[in-house]
Amino acid sequence: MRYGDFTPYDLVLLLQGLSVSLALFVSTTLIGLLVGTLWAVIRFYRLPVLAQLVAFIAELLKNSPVLVQLFLVFFGLPAFLKINVTPTEAAVITLSGNSAAFIYVIAVSAIESVGRDQLEAARVFGLNRWQILRRVIAPQAAAFAVGPLTGLLVNQLQVTSLISVIGVIDLTKVGNILNLRTLKPFVVWTIVGALYYLTAKLVAYAGARLETRLRAHTKWKGL
Amino acid sequence: MPTILSWLNVKRSGGGWGTTPLKNAAAVDTDLLILLSETGFTIEARRLQFDLSILAKHIPFLLEGTWLTFKVCLISVIGSLVLGLLVAAARTSSSTFLNRLSAVYVDMFRNIPFIVQLFFFYFGLPEIGIYIDALSTGIIALSIAGGAFTSDVIRSGILAIEPGVIEAAQVSGLKRATIFRRIALPIALRTSVRPLGSVFINLILTSSVLSTITLNELTGSAKIVASQTFRPFEVYFVLLVAYAALTWSVSIVIGALHRHLNRNQAEGVA
Repeated sequence: MRYGDFTPYDLVLLLQGLSVSLALFVSTTLIGLLVGTLWAVIRFYRLPVLAQLVAFIAELLKNSPVLVQLFLVFFGLPAFLKINVTPTEAAVITLSGNSAAFIYVIAVSAIESVGRDQLEAARVFGLNRWQILRRVIAPQAAAFAVGPLTGLLVNQLQVTSLISVIGVIDLTKVGNILNLRTLKPFVVWTIVGALYYLTAKLVAYAGARLETRLRAHTKWKGL
Repeated sequence: MPTILSWLNVKRSGGGWGTTPLKNAAAVDTDLLILLSETGFTIEARRLQFDLSILAKHIPFLLEGTWLTFKVCLISVIGSLVLGLLVAAARTSSSTFLNRLSAVYVDMFRNIPFIVQLFFFYFGLPEIGIYIDALSTGIIALSIAGGAFTSDVIRSGILAIEPGVIEAAQVSGLKRATIFRRIALPIALRTSVRPLGSVFINLILTSSVLSTITLNELTGSAKIVASQTFRPFEVYFVLLVAYAALTWSVSIVIGALHRHLNRNQAEGVA
């Protein structure tokens, strides 16, 4: 077994894969947050055709496997539109869209979680629709949404592992490469699994911290 | 209806590509054409084809894949339900050891990507002398991963039961196993039909990942069709809609089941 042993360089490879996974996770989460919130705002303003369209797209994205969406973007779009799509681009497009669909659902329920009486009070107070959204709904909805959002993000982190199938060298792909070279599946996949596990725990921890911060105003401070 | 869109690709000699969407390439303004050709652009009309009829002769093959997906999902749903029940029982039991063990299981399998778990089993099991085919590996991996989510749902259903109900059963002199089987479980399962449904829908969607271990279920067979027809867009588009229709119909069934099981409950409780 001359080339079958683990080398110190494998650690670098693993960290590289992890950073690719993390970079894609963070960027697609940010894009997804932006797009998903925008969709929710479209729904909030009840824009005629757009709101229905957004609801339909979100439903379609939520109810189909990410792998199939990935194939559609990576294999389907280039063949259809005669354009070039790199694996990373396809991954960013797909994961952002998928995150956006789920974030849309969370954002909609967060907006609806704010009591109607508050909206009425704000309207009587003379605030317009945007001011109500910005000053009354957004702060409370954000605190409401952080919990489900953390759960979603932990899930989305795991979904990023699927992009290895279309050839992005992320953590799972690195695991695949190491597995094929060393033929030690238990060691390789345990390490890869542990890295994902730790990252997921980190995301959950950060979410919990943020939630306590955003909910600080409702906490009982004592008399 | 093979053509629904035509695109006009304008290529500048030595330059980059620009693409202009047009309703009908034939109706391009002639002035524009002259202008473009005089300024050193070449014009090339490309047709965007969206033709579902090419899939017609591959339908039996795709149905085979659908049948395999159905089998895998059915067995995995049953497997994860059984596993989930056992683990939920362990997690809500008074034994500290069982509690910890089941908590570790749920935590691990919920926080590690399914594809990594799948590769762990697929490449790892032969290493320790267990030679089973991709189908069995897939079903086992899907059941174990699904079991983690299922047990969490059932556990929260059990924890939501009013303590008074359990106390009444204890006072009546029922054994612990009987209380769990006859009192706790029916109540917990009834309230957790909807979350269980979304776990199972997720399981159906996750089953597409099994195509990565050479299992030709719906996604796997669609991959083959896409590479045979060179029409990946149509194939994967249909696949996306098919999965959405499948999970949508499952969620309708779940909703009906939920309403049926909770028909005697007060509004707002269930």
